[in-house]
Amino acid sequence: MAPRHLRAITRKEFTHIRRDRATLILVLFTPTILFLLMAYSLTVDINNVPIAVLDHDRSPTSRSFIQQITAGDDLDIFAMVSSFEEINDLLMREEIKAAVILAPTFTEDLKALKNLSVQIIIDGTEPSGGAFAVDHIMSRAEEFIGIALADQIRAMGLSVESLQSIDLRVRAWYNPGLKPRVDMIPGLISMVLGFPALSVALALAQEHEHGTMEQLIVSPIGRSDLLLGKMIPYILVGLINVIMIPVLAMLWFEIPFNGNFFLFFLLSAIFLFSILSMGVLIGVFMKTQATAMAVSFLLIFFPGFFLTGIFFPIVAMPDIMRMEAMALPGTHYAYIARGVFLPGVGLDILWPYALMLLVLGLSFTGIAAIFFKKKLG
Amino acid sequence: MRTNEPTVIAKNLVKEFGDFPAVAGIDFIVGQGEIFGFLGPNGSGKTTTIRLMLGLLRPTEGEMEVLGISVNDHPEKIRPRVGYMSQQFSLYNDLTVEQNLRFHGTAYGLTNTELVERMSIALEMAGLQGREKTKTKELSGGWRQRLALSAAFLHEPRVLFLDEPTAGVDPISRREFWELLYILVAQGVTVFVTTHYMDEAEHCHRLAFIRRGKIIATGTPDELRDKFMKGEVLELAPDDAASAVNVLRNASAEGRLDLNEVELYGSLVHVVANDMSHKQSEIIAELQRSGLDPGSGVIIEPSLEDVFIASMK
Amino acid sequence: MNFRRIASLSLKEFIHLRNDWWLPAFMLLGGALELLLIGWATSRPIANLPMMVLDHDRSAASRAFIVALENTGTFADAEFVYDEDDIRESMERGNISIAVIFPPGYGEQIADGSPSLSVILNGAESVPAREALRAVEGVAGDLGERITLERLNLDPSEFEGFIPSMRVWFNETLSEALYTTPAELGMMLEITVMLFAALSFTRERELGTLEQLLVMPYSTLELILGKAFPVVIIGFSQFLLMLGMMNVFFNVPVRGSLILLLTLALFYIAVELTKGMVISVVAKTQHQAFLLVLLVGMADFMFTGYAAPVESMPQAVQFVANFIPAHHWLGIMRGILLKASDLTVLWPNVLILVVMGTIIATFSMRYVRRALN
Repeated sequence: MAPRHLRAITRKEFTHIRRDRATLILVLFTPTILFLLMAYSLTVDINNVPIAVLDHDRSPTSRSFIQQITAGDDLDIFAMVSSFEEINDLLMREEIKAAVILAPTFTEDLKALKNLSVQIIIDGTEPSGGAFAVDHIMSRAEEFIGIALADQIRAMGLSVESLQSIDLRVRAWYNPGLKPRVDMIPGLISMVLGFPALSVALALAQEHEHGTMEQLIVSPIGRSDLLLGKMIPYILVGLINVIMIPVLAMLWFEIPFNGNFFLFFLLSAIFLFSILSMGVLIGVFMKTQATAMAVSFLLIFFPGFFLTGIFFPIVAMPDIMRMEAMALPGTHYAYIARGVFLPGVGLDILWPYALMLLVLGLSFTGIAAIFFKKKLG
Repeated sequence: MRTNEPTVIAKNLVKEFGDFPAVAGIDFIVGQGEIFGFLGPNGSGKTTTIRLMLGLLRPTEGEMEVLGISVNDHPEKIRPRVGYMSQQFSLYNDLTVEQNLRFHGTAYGLTNTELVERMSIALEMAGLQGREKTKTKELSGGWRQRLALSAAFLHEPRVLFLDEPTAGVDPISRREFWELLYILVAQGVTVFVTTHYMDEAEHCHRLAFIRRGKIIATGTPDELRDKFMKGEVLELAPDDAASAVNVLRNASAEGRLDLNEVELYGSLVHVVANDMSHKQSEIIAELQRSGLDPGSGVIIEPSLEDVFIASMK
Repeated sequence: MNFRRIASLSLKEFIHLRNDWWLPAFMLLGGALELLLIGWATSRPIANLPMMVLDHDRSAASRAFIVALENTGTFADAEFVYDEDDIRESMERGNISIAVIFPPGYGEQIADGSPSLSVILNGAESVPAREALRAVEGVAGDLGERITLERLNLDPSEFEGFIPSMRVWFNETLSEALYTTPAELGMMLEITVMLFAALSFTRERELGTLEQLLVMPYSTLELILGKAFPVVIIGFSQFLLMLGMMNVFFNVPVRGSLILLLTLALFYIAVELTKGMVISVVAKTQHQAFLLVLLVGMADFMFTGYAAPVESMPQAVQFVANFIPAHHWLGIMRGILLKASDLTVLWPNVLILVVMGTIIATFSMRYVRRALN
């Protein structure tokens, strides 16, 4: 390792990048643009979910029930239908996400305290709409029942206190409304910062493809200097995004940032080293850029999206996949990001993740350096 | 077999990239069966001109005609009858010799029977019989170049456009390449070639000097020599060529010797003056007076490099 | 149109692919394998959530509640702590999803008053937190109901429960894989096809062979067709492979017409291909092409309603979503796979695919040649 050589390679990379304005802009801004796109789609509140209603009872009580569940913005009555076939048709055409059917005995059953004769049909093929509708209907139905029951009990001459329910005092820490966006958006940073890793893999493969790798090999620059020198411009690109993205998250999406920004910056640098070393490892092996693209997409991007615990909790994964998730730098960084944004914790809590990142980064770089030599020699 | 029938015509050709005029008004005519060379330094507009002639670029102004067809109006009619060798060897490195030829041939519409025949001719031309299954990237520069030429000629085009075909190739291969070209030209093919190798320019029937997008001069090598070389060239081989050049230039500046040019030519010195046969001894005396050994001196035919440099003045 | 010419171009492309066989191998097999693994990882219901319990009461009632919680299957075995600080630290570390605190008089409150419990959720991971909350609310609700019925002297066995009955259509088992895997397939397919299409010209441009190709007597249409054919083969093969895997490993059925699905898949591949061609015209290097493909791919993905339903987005966004081919393709896939839809239902989607494809194709035909210079 010679600082002089490292500087030379880094400078060469910078000139390279600077000469190609279009690529520079793309590389620099892709993480932030992607972040904005995805964060936006996460901030969409689910509302106006279209449903159909089939009321066989048609009594004041049933109408009041329907009123209760559709009050507000969340659900939208697309149609009041009069037959089951219509519901079938609407579901097939994806015009509605759910349907509510009230049995003819609705009011009687309610009065007799037998049950709530309501059937909900949801379209199971689209999780967000259908599931949301169900949750919403269920909770509104509960309220309705509460009121109806109370009336009923009074009518029966019993005291309302016999109605028993357990008071759950729920506090959601760090994210009082339990809004998915609040924890997913910090996690997104982990995903979008994987992009520079793709670029560095391509940069290395490009030297192979254009035949300029030989020149580099012949020069006195050491292997690790070469690899590190390639990484540095992309670490910088990443760090610029590390500044831009939280600012956007805070200002535009109103995500709280409770932790220490300098700590976050430092830990982000470690993450960038870690994930770029994955890119470097891939780039060392791939002879063409196209292959580097395919491999980096499959090993860095796709898992970065699905396996890092941003959208799908890691707890729910089978053991093998959980282990694979732990081998991804993105997983640990997602924890760090969430930790810094939401509870605002410090190094005392985050050090295990930082350590993992360092270990992964050094391992990947080490393996890359070893194989780099073997291939040339 | 050359006729005077114009095969390639360019009239008032202009191509601007934004503000930059890569080609700033060019006219030339190439006759049938001629080897026409475009000679100029890098960035002078040679490659842009070829691209324009092939319809790869649209000119800002001007007209071009190839084989009687207007390039602006019907580029697609010209393509099947023209062959092209681009600067970067444009063959697919990961394909074998055979695969490259076959692709070329089929692309140009050769039927299977035609393909068999033409491919064997091409392999013979390139000297690559028996090496059909070699990957192109494993061939050395000279072989690749011959392959590229024979591929360009696979479909028997009447006109060949070659853009710096011998760049980076060893001199022997270069010589052999030009021999191949002569064989083709003997069959009546017209060749338009760009180059920055002055010695190659000698091989052309006619030349145009191009600089900064403009043609400085057009003519046969002899015509150009006569036009630009005022005087004859004395080639000296002194021990210290650089000092010799200085001495002679001083002498010329101070009026002691009447010289047109003194140029360093590798480790040699070229002195251009009128009436050289008489001046030769004076020049040698001047050098000896300054303590330099003039080495052997020979009056030579001005090379095109000399002519070219002279034309730039 | 000379088919021999087109075929020889496609043949050349296939030779390139065979020479660099890592590329198609990775995209085909790797893509399918990835779908398998990720589908497996992301389609399991949430269970084994780490839970902490701080039981100040330690009565039979509180223990019963804890057992009920563990029986829901949503939680791992409860971890008992005796200090709120432990809870705080575990929350900060992200080690637990939920903490349940029973106040000292809980058991007695059950008997005669209004019992109350504290629930603390780890909002830093909202998805498991919501599941946890749902489970706790379920247990609490059941318990409340039972007590009420006892008080009112009603027979619990006669009581069917004040819960609306629920039917899930098209996905009776509520298997998450049925909706996550088609979306993942869509994303993989789109990016694969766009990438290969984009690279087809960009690669030649970067390596310097494009010029020669443009000088050959190919018409623009012939060039595009020649380059497109191998991409279609790759895309379609990947689709078949992934479809097979979804069916075998995740029990995603094909309830509608398979032929229709395969035909429409070809349509969709063609449309994404033309998008890739446009990118290859715009991108000057392979690197640029790659980044652009990923950006466009991810942007499209957002419109397919993966994260949030499109209906909930602002009108302007919904309008734009109509022009995204992937949006319609997912509708087609869901329809044919799960709902046995046929053309009478799907025709709007198909129409838009065809129209979009034609528009983009016309655009690329006009500008490809010009822009490639």
